[in-house]
Amino acid sequence: MSAMGDDIALNQSADKRVMIHIDGLKKNFDELEVLKGINADIREGEVVVIIGPSGSGKSTFLRCMNGLEKITAGVVKIDGRDVTDPHTNMNKVRENIGMVFQHFNLFPHMTVLENVMLAPVELKIMTRQEASEKGMSLLKKVGLDSKADVYPPQLSGGQKQRVAIARSLALNPDIMLFDEPTSALDPEMVGEVLQVMKSLARGGMTMCVVTHEIGFAKEVASRVIFMDAGYIVEEGTPEEIFSRPKEKRTIDFLNKVLS
Amino acid sequence: MGDIIRVYWTLLLRSLGQTMLLTLLSLFFAFFIGLLFGLMNVSRNRVLNFFGTVYVDGIRGVPLIVLAFFIYFGIPTAVQAAGFSDFRLSALAAGIIALSMNAGAYMAEIFRAGILSVDKGQMEAARSLGLPYGISMRKVILPQAIRTMVPPIISQFIISLKDTSILSVIGFPELTKAGSIIVGNTFAALEVWGIIGIMYMIVIVTLSRFAKKLERRLNVSNGG
Repeated sequence: MSAMGDDIALNQSADKRVMIHIDGLKKNFDELEVLKGINADIREGEVVVIIGPSGSGKSTFLRCMNGLEKITAGVVKIDGRDVTDPHTNMNKVRENIGMVFQHFNLFPHMTVLENVMLAPVELKIMTRQEASEKGMSLLKKVGLDSKADVYPPQLSGGQKQRVAIARSLALNPDIMLFDEPTSALDPEMVGEVLQVMKSLARGGMTMCVVTHEIGFAKEVASRVIFMDAGYIVEEGTPEEIFSRPKEKRTIDFLNKVLS
Repeated sequence: MGDIIRVYWTLLLRSLGQTMLLTLLSLFFAFFIGLLFGLMNVSRNRVLNFFGTVYVDGIRGVPLIVLAFFIYFGIPTAVQAAGFSDFRLSALAAGIIALSMNAGAYMAEIFRAGILSVDKGQMEAARSLGLPYGISMRKVILPQAIRTMVPPIISQFIISLKDTSILSVIGFPELTKAGSIIVGNTFAALEVWGIIGIMYMIVIVTLSRFAKKLERRLNVSNGG
């Protein structure tokens, strides 16, 4: 059902390059089937928001894209590179996909700037000097250049998540994955993180966001995917999904979250 | 008692020094043995897991005194039989090998527990940045693991320090051996073993105090 949906939903950007190609993706955790056959193409510059009840497989779906979860069956290609092929250098693929986690996962034993500099320096992509300059400019972008020398435990949740975003941008990835980036935040800090994400989206970043922030989806998403029980149930523009949902499960879910 | 100390104080201090030397050298090697086998035991590679488990279980399943005999008497005999007739192994070398292997097995478990105590998200974040497993381990996981490992490492240090007394059986001139010699000369068993016991105790209590202080300081810098 989703293969057909793709053609319709993507007519506005059909000429753009496919950044993420997913075909028949299945993921089992031992006996438990979490993803039961997912098809999706995400094109350059698209902001795809994935919504759905907890346990529907959204996070697992996202984690299959950068190989944090081993894929049981199907194909995932990132910018043409097959993630399921054992000969693919996953480290190279991951350099091109940033990921932001629900619980930030900043490295607590390094300063904020060191967190951002780690990957480019260790991968010998930049000198320390270059990485430091790049790091400072990214921190400035997320409004935290004044916190460069502070250790993560001294930051608020919202600040931590903004640093995490800066860190994942250090290698200039073409794709960014967000796994419930605001779910662990106090309500007053959600806005500052969404603000950074919006400016990334406006800058043309290809983004895949698992979130419960319907407002963000309405404002920024080029496409919304509704998942339930390991399947993509419905997808379309925010307008289509939020104003004229077709599937009963989508309607039930939206009634619960929007009421 | 005063007489014994007056006559034998150089021997006592020198043997205490030997005890400390043996402990420190053994712990130094045990650290790297523990790191190696600890990493093998947390890896996803079944073969590495297998060898790591064999080492840890094997060494922990053998009393230190048996291991010491095996290395001090067994290995030279075997090497000499293989044609190297002037091969010798000093009591110090054999003692260090036995104690390092023994403490290394326990240290492997300390490393394993330390690594597993670091939040799973840390490795995921490092790998998602494109960092290979080795760099992620070295730069992100181990520095955090070491902090939680300081108290068990010091307690292993204390255990190994006491275990050096077992090595008196292969003739290594450490503190307990010195005790036997002095008792042999003076027949003053009560006083001599009392003095030896107190000497061990002073070193160990000082170490534990130091450990507590260090632990508290680490907790402070970890806080928040």
